[in-house]
Amino acid sequence: MSILEQVNERLSSLAAEARRSLVRILSGRAWRQGSGSGTIWHSDGLIVTNAHVVERSALRVVLHDGRELAAELIAADKHLDLAALRIEASGLPTVVLGNSKQLRVGSWVFALGFPYGVDSGLTGGVVIGSGADLPEMPANGREWLALSLHLRPGHSGGMLLDAAGKLIGINTLITGPDVGFAIPVHVVKRFLKAQLGVTEAPSRTARPDSVVIL
Amino acid sequence: MPDVLQNLSDELAALTEQVSVSVVRVEARRRLPASGTVWDKGVVVTANHVVERDDDIHIGLPDGNRLSAKLVGRDPLSDIAVLRAEFDLPVPLWTTPETARVGQLVLALGRPSRHIMATLGVISALETGDQLPRGIQVDHFLQTDVVMYPGFSGGALISANGRVLGINTSAMRGISLTIPTSTIRRVVEALLKHGKIQRGYLGVGAQAIKLSPAITAKVGQSYGLLVASVEPDSPAEQGGVLIGDILLRFNEMALSSPEDLLRGLQSDCISKTVPIVIVRGGELQTLQVTVGERLMR
Repeated sequence: MSILEQVNERLSSLAAEARRSLVRILSGRAWRQGSGSGTIWHSDGLIVTNAHVVERSALRVVLHDGRELAAELIAADKHLDLAALRIEASGLPTVVLGNSKQLRVGSWVFALGFPYGVDSGLTGGVVIGSGADLPEMPANGREWLALSLHLRPGHSGGMLLDAAGKLIGINTLITGPDVGFAIPVHVVKRFLKAQLGVTEAPSRTARPDSVVIL
Repeated sequence: MPDVLQNLSDELAALTEQVSVSVVRVEARRRLPASGTVWDKGVVVTANHVVERDDDIHIGLPDGNRLSAKLVGRDPLSDIAVLRAEFDLPVPLWTTPETARVGQLVLALGRPSRHIMATLGVISALETGDQLPRGIQVDHFLQTDVVMYPGFSGGALISANGRVLGINTSAMRGISLTIPTSTIRRVVEALLKHGKIQRGYLGVGAQAIKLSPAITAKVGQSYGLLVASVEPDSPAEQGGVLIGDILLRFNEMALSSPEDLLRGLQSDCISKTVPIVIVRGGELQTLQVTVGERLMR
């Protein structure tokens, strides 16, 4: 097999594996529906997404196997643009967490989500840079991964994975057609710990003052 | 099966790190800084359009140090500027794009902030200078689909074996352009030597025109340059060129487009008297014209 065929083979199998942990997030009712992506963080029903994906009520989550479940918003931070949802399910497939602190510039990454609602849309590229001092972003201390790939509306809240298929970020925004930004997974870990006390296992007792119920 | 995707990813990152030590930040404009690439010990090449001022220029080194740099010279036509500063960074391996092929993977590197940044793409086209807007003098332009992240101008475009193919300049119409090493070498050497790019000057306005079959049969070319204007006191006027003349040959070189004439007016013909073959009143004539020097801003 040529190197390109091997790359294709490997990428498609990593994508097939990872998309089992990708969920579609629906919100709103009737004519005012929204949709975005989410990432299964824990097999017992903890899902991570962007805060801007879950701004409406009547949240539902569609799993890879087609099940549609009601979701409860248990934490949100608009400044970080992160949110956590809970669904009544167990034994969900999760992805291995990668190291977003030591990402090498130029390394290969790919993103999954529901761009314009398309099922498990994938886009690939490389890490342009990372940190809190990127040229296009305001210097407000927020950390980002700048990516040379094609994120589109609907990719928000979906997974960013490295060449080994490990989760390294949550797709969050774009500054142009060719440049996307993701929140590094270490920021997500910090968010979950601060909001829910979650380290590895999810907790049902969220701190009341940090919980936003829409 | 070895994990080829991981290997590819590691190699891309390793290439980036390998050449990143030769890519610097260039602070020479009001907005965002841009990038520059080490040409030689103490010499940085960058894009002319990011050097908005002649003084108060700084470069940022990979180790975080910031140095004052001097503008050696600039060439707006090829969008190249050369800076000098006291540094000792590795000189990357520059290669001419003749070795490059359409479809090959390339990385664009830049350093608009402190850290190295990279984007990946493929070579979309290798264009000759003929297809460029008139007056732009480069041997070839490399077109790629790498994303030109803000501040990437002046940074290196590198091949899969870590050679520098050229420096990246602004994207137009969604494609990214790279000034190839061959052009950079020519321009940088001239700038280091003279501080400017010398070009010959005739002082004619001319456009391509189809020749009559009789003339074509006689001279073996289908097009010539119709002289539409002659600048007062210009070398052309002093040499006797008149409006309405058709220029056929300049210094033994056939002229079929204004670009041919621009290419012919290189620095080596300045102050020399060269033969220009023209058609006037249906007859061939040869004028002797002493080429002047084109004054750039």
